[in-house]
Amino acid sequence: MSTEAVVKPYAVAVMMRRHAQEDPAWVRWSLTLFALGVVGLLVVVPVVNIFAEALSEGLRAYWNNLFADPDTRQSIFLTLTVVPIALVANIIFGLAAAWAIARFNFPGRTLLTALIDLPFSVSPVVAGLMFVLIFGLQGYFGPFLRRDGYSVMPYLISILGVALFILLFVLFRPTNRQRRQAFWKYPWLSVLVGSGAVFSLLLFAQQYFQVWPRNQSLKIIFATPGLILATAFVTFPFVARELIPVMEAVGADEELAAVSLGANGWQMFWHVTVPNIKWGLVYGVILCNARAIGEFGAVYVVSGHIAGKTDTMPLRIEKLFQEYNLPGSFAVASLLTLVAIFTLIAKAKLERKIPSTATIPEPTISEFQP
Amino acid sequence: MSILIKDVSKKFGNFKALDNVTLEVPDGDLLALLGPSGSGKTTLLRIIAGLEVADSGTVLYQDEDITHHSARDRKVGFVFQHYALFRHMTVAENIGYGLKVRKTPKAQIRERVEELLKLIRLDGFGTRYPGQLSGGQRQRVALARALAAQPRVLLLDEPFGALDAKVRQELRQWLRRLHEDIHVTSIFVTHDQEEAFEVADRVVVMNEGKIEQVGSPDDVYEHPATPFVYKFLGNVNLFHGRIDNGKAYINQSETEHVVFVRPHLLDIDRAPNGGDHFRAKIKHINSAGPLVKVEAITEWGALIRVEIPQDRFRSLHLLKDETVFVIPRDVRVFEKRRIA
Repeated sequence: MSTEAVVKPYAVAVMMRRHAQEDPAWVRWSLTLFALGVVGLLVVVPVVNIFAEALSEGLRAYWNNLFADPDTRQSIFLTLTVVPIALVANIIFGLAAAWAIARFNFPGRTLLTALIDLPFSVSPVVAGLMFVLIFGLQGYFGPFLRRDGYSVMPYLISILGVALFILLFVLFRPTNRQRRQAFWKYPWLSVLVGSGAVFSLLLFAQQYFQVWPRNQSLKIIFATPGLILATAFVTFPFVARELIPVMEAVGADEELAAVSLGANGWQMFWHVTVPNIKWGLVYGVILCNARAIGEFGAVYVVSGHIAGKTDTMPLRIEKLFQEYNLPGSFAVASLLTLVAIFTLIAKAKLERKIPSTATIPEPTISEFQP
Repeated sequence: MSILIKDVSKKFGNFKALDNVTLEVPDGDLLALLGPSGSGKTTLLRIIAGLEVADSGTVLYQDEDITHHSARDRKVGFVFQHYALFRHMTVAENIGYGLKVRKTPKAQIRERVEELLKLIRLDGFGTRYPGQLSGGQRQRVALARALAAQPRVLLLDEPFGALDAKVRQELRQWLRRLHEDIHVTSIFVTHDQEEAFEVADRVVVMNEGKIEQVGSPDDVYEHPATPFVYKFLGNVNLFHGRIDNGKAYINQSETEHVVFVRPHLLDIDRAPNGGDHFRAKIKHINSAGPLVKVEAITEWGALIRVEIPQDRFRSLHLLKDETVFVIPRDVRVFEKRRIA
């Protein structure tokens, strides 16, 4: 028997299997063309059109549209102020929430997991209205904020100071039991007394030096604080939701190993937790950033559209469009589109690096070869 | 460093993981915690390490009560089942981590890491990452990392559980020799009795959150204290019967006792030979391996397993469906009420 005779039936079998598994050519081609056509019509053409419109009067006009108009300039500046503050708040909140949910089992864990998703399910307009209802003139705190709004600031700052103090106490408590003396020895007493001292000291200092103005209205709605609150609320699921599965996939073993080797909480966090979750965190931050920059609904409600004061970039685009200033509105829109394109690229690059529950990728050899 | 565990209990919800466990581990011992899954052995190990907090009871190292010390104050070396190596650190950084967080001078860390790399026979691997190592190599790195800061006790959670059979065999012997060299009090958890017997000086058999028996491997195997231990440590044939005048009568109507016989402690013969015996019909013969495994049905219809040496099997020429005499050489009798 020749080799050919053995090979041939096998080859036929392979071909037949391929035919059995695949759809006919016309189905494949028409489906592919349909998908490409829809994406082209709905995504590619509009995106290209944005840049075409923005640049239709030349580069100089484009530049002037962006930076010569003081209101547009102000809107870019406002977005660059609001978004980083909202991001930092969400990173802190996201880390804390993800840690609590992924590492501990406590009553209300399921509720917290569900609540994190709330901003996704609530319409941004409703979210904005909610803040107007709380802080607006006719809202719960409105009259008070209008009368003497800044009087809460010393207390707020003092409470933040106490939180920082407790955090530092927990983190820097000596590892070695023998070195835990005096101040470190009785944690509850020390924290209680220390917190009291920090609180009253900060409060006294702020009152004494009159840091905050008296009997003045503290504007939250129709002002930057409201924009920050609304943006942070709408985008807060991003970091937490990205981190929870990553932390669950990585598991607690490495952290426990670090602790049993003598690391304190601070060391464990920076040496083990952060390196393990960093790509997940970056991913969450990028998505959060994209959403925060583009946020329209909630911000629309709380901003009050005061030109040159409370208009963020998306609000400015809308206003320019309403004023029939098409090149202007497309110029600002092109900036947002650039952010979106950058986000897409970063997202695609990062997705590979994030540990998932299905497989925990360990660094491959090629990644570490110099 | 000797360890004393006194009346330790631990519950997870309604599940009693540990129920009033008391155990003493002498200095320099190599002890195995052996039991089926859910027996509380890992929970006990984690309580000793400080990774879990007992609901009640105390843990002492030497004379120091460390029940309320955190894991990082206990100076234990803990080896995790799935290694838990820091994946973004090199092998050398992993091993040196315990020294680094304890603020040891850099030169000293380097020296100790080199020494340990030699000990685990991975010199030259210091710059690699855990992902570039095989399972056995990773487990050795995990062990070196645990040993780096000279722990007072070494605790290993199913150290060879995730490895294939051959590597596991090698690592067992290696761990045994390592313990002879460094002599740190060590406790390891396993569900594999062979592993426990091969590596440990002493074996603690656990079941349902309680300690069933503590003793040397020989002791535990030859003189099992409870029916559970007897059953857990190997195959067993079970007969119901009663005790009369120091003799066990099986297949009786009044049965307040249970008689256990290991398959290799049953013999098969063609003649009764004057001793205690019963008749059985051979159902199945598996003659692969050093022992021939025979399955037979007794006169009263129970299935039993017998293991006889190859030469004995060959000289008897046993056949399927043949009726033979089964002669127990050694049995173990427990009262029935002790068997839950």
